[in-house]
Amino acid sequence: MTEVSIEKLTKDYGQGPAVNSISVKIAEGEFISLLGPSGCGKTTTLKMIAGFEDATQGAIRFDGRDVVHVPVEKRDIGMVFQNYALFPHMTVEKNLAFGLEMRKTPKDEIRTRIAKVLDMVQLTGYSERYPRQLSGGQQQRVALARALVIEPKILLLDEPLANLDAKLREEMRVFIRDLQRRVGITTVYVTHDQAEAMTMSDRVVVMFGGRIAQIGTPSDIYERPANLEVAEFVGQVNIIRGKVGNRVVSTAFGDVPVSGEFADGAELMLALRPEAVELLPISSGATGAPAKVLSSYYSGSLVDYRLELAGGAVVNVQTFPRTRFADGEQVLVHAPADRFWPLGTVA
Amino acid sequence: MSKPFFTVYCLIIYAFLLAPIAVVVIASFNAGAFLTFPPQGLSFRWYLVFFNNEVFMRAIRTSLWIAALTTVISGIIGTMAAMFYVTHAGKLKETVRVAMLAPLLLPEVLTAISLLFFVYSVGLGTQNLVGMIVGHVLITLPFVFINVSASMESYDPAWSLAAQSLGAGRFTRFRRIMLPLIKPGVIGGCLFAFIISFDVFTISFMLKGVGMSTLPIQLFDYLRTNFTPEAAAVSTCSIVLTMAVVVISEKVLGLRIHRF
Repeated sequence: MTEVSIEKLTKDYGQGPAVNSISVKIAEGEFISLLGPSGCGKTTTLKMIAGFEDATQGAIRFDGRDVVHVPVEKRDIGMVFQNYALFPHMTVEKNLAFGLEMRKTPKDEIRTRIAKVLDMVQLTGYSERYPRQLSGGQQQRVALARALVIEPKILLLDEPLANLDAKLREEMRVFIRDLQRRVGITTVYVTHDQAEAMTMSDRVVVMFGGRIAQIGTPSDIYERPANLEVAEFVGQVNIIRGKVGNRVVSTAFGDVPVSGEFADGAELMLALRPEAVELLPISSGATGAPAKVLSSYYSGSLVDYRLELAGGAVVNVQTFPRTRFADGEQVLVHAPADRFWPLGTVA
Repeated sequence: MSKPFFTVYCLIIYAFLLAPIAVVVIASFNAGAFLTFPPQGLSFRWYLVFFNNEVFMRAIRTSLWIAALTTVISGIIGTMAAMFYVTHAGKLKETVRVAMLAPLLLPEVLTAISLLFFVYSVGLGTQNLVGMIVGHVLITLPFVFINVSASMESYDPAWSLAAQSLGAGRFTRFRRIMLPLIKPGVIGGCLFAFIISFDVFTISFMLKGVGMSTLPIQLFDYLRTNFTPEAAAVSTCSIVLTMAVVVISEKVLGLRIHRF
């Protein structure tokens, strides 16, 4: 198992840095996701860790040893590509054997290791198939097996689920996560899908424009986003504005106490997740701000509402469909004070 | 087009393409003294004459030797050029393609004359096969290039990257991953190179040394003064030889295209 340390890593193609001095420490056996929109530098970072791209500056250390000048083939990585990149002229078995042959592993050991890894990805009995004879999900598992069978120092995955359909994608998320836990390998996972990053990772690195916006556990990222960009990229969010006065922000939802140093009179942005808001019928007489239902979207397990507050602000609310409200109905909205998260003052 | 009509149409086209070859093959078994069709009686007489004709046999050996060398050299250079063209040429892509195909666009006789000037001005002369081989490589190169670059287009660079991540060095990546996957193009290109080199007249004629002769030149030379069925026997043998090369490479090396 390997600890990976990235220090002030920079990549510049000549038109300004694509990756701008990023530093991350990845613990042994940790599953880290690089999350961000396309062009944020996450794939470039992965390629630098793999060795496919040279770093312009900075260091990449595997267990303290700088590998920046080690070529890909000597770096001892396992990589899963977006389109799997299985060798089409080789059977599953030959695909899996390739990396071991490069390491001059004895023949009988190759056989036992392939049997073991095929069992691990639940593809025993498929060793004589060619990649084209496998479904997308099976190809994906062969690609994983091929990367893992060489027992690399780290596992790198480049949007491996992007080509699968939605249902399979969810199955593979769980599959990859379980497999990674069992093997205990340090893993870097690149994705632009926040749900993928959240469900699979120990920690998520959110990147924008070549810089790290936030590093944290999935709940840190979701509940305590570092800034507006992160809050908006990771899930849906309502931005509630209000003036600070005496450590309290007065909003359409009522007064919200804030910790942190904000000057009185400053206008503050607060993040409020749609599912943190409660909807109550006007008749309940509970405390809450009055609002009008603009529209609702039913999706089975949840209902999404668009509401207009008294002041004209629109908020999105997500609830369980126990009580349904009709379009145009007046309701009360309420959110506990601790579900508001300050994102900073309005620029 | 209705089906029976289409079948007849295809048969006519095939007949049109193959009839001259059939005529030559049949005429080669002529028992008479002159190249006529239909033949006057059947015999292997002219084959025996041909096999005992040292001049023709030497010409065939020369042709085979040149074609073999040309195929190897053209195959290597053409494959490397195609690899560069597809993966690394970038902005130069169009320029590289036009440059590689240029020998096809120029009249062969112009290429031959300029090569003749060239080999003499660099002091190579036509005493050895070097000038001849250069000429043959030049005109066969586009065929290797076209075939290999066509099969390179369906080659996913990620395969090489995957092999690299698994620990394969540059040479292993080429030998175990890329070459097997572009093999149909390489073999196809090499076959073209061999057959064209075996067949080419103008360039060989200009660049041959004194007393040296390839099969097409020898045949032409022969037909200027003789009109016996021996010429048909020579042609038939050359047809069989080329077909043998195609069939054997198909069987031994395999032209099966990998489906992805």
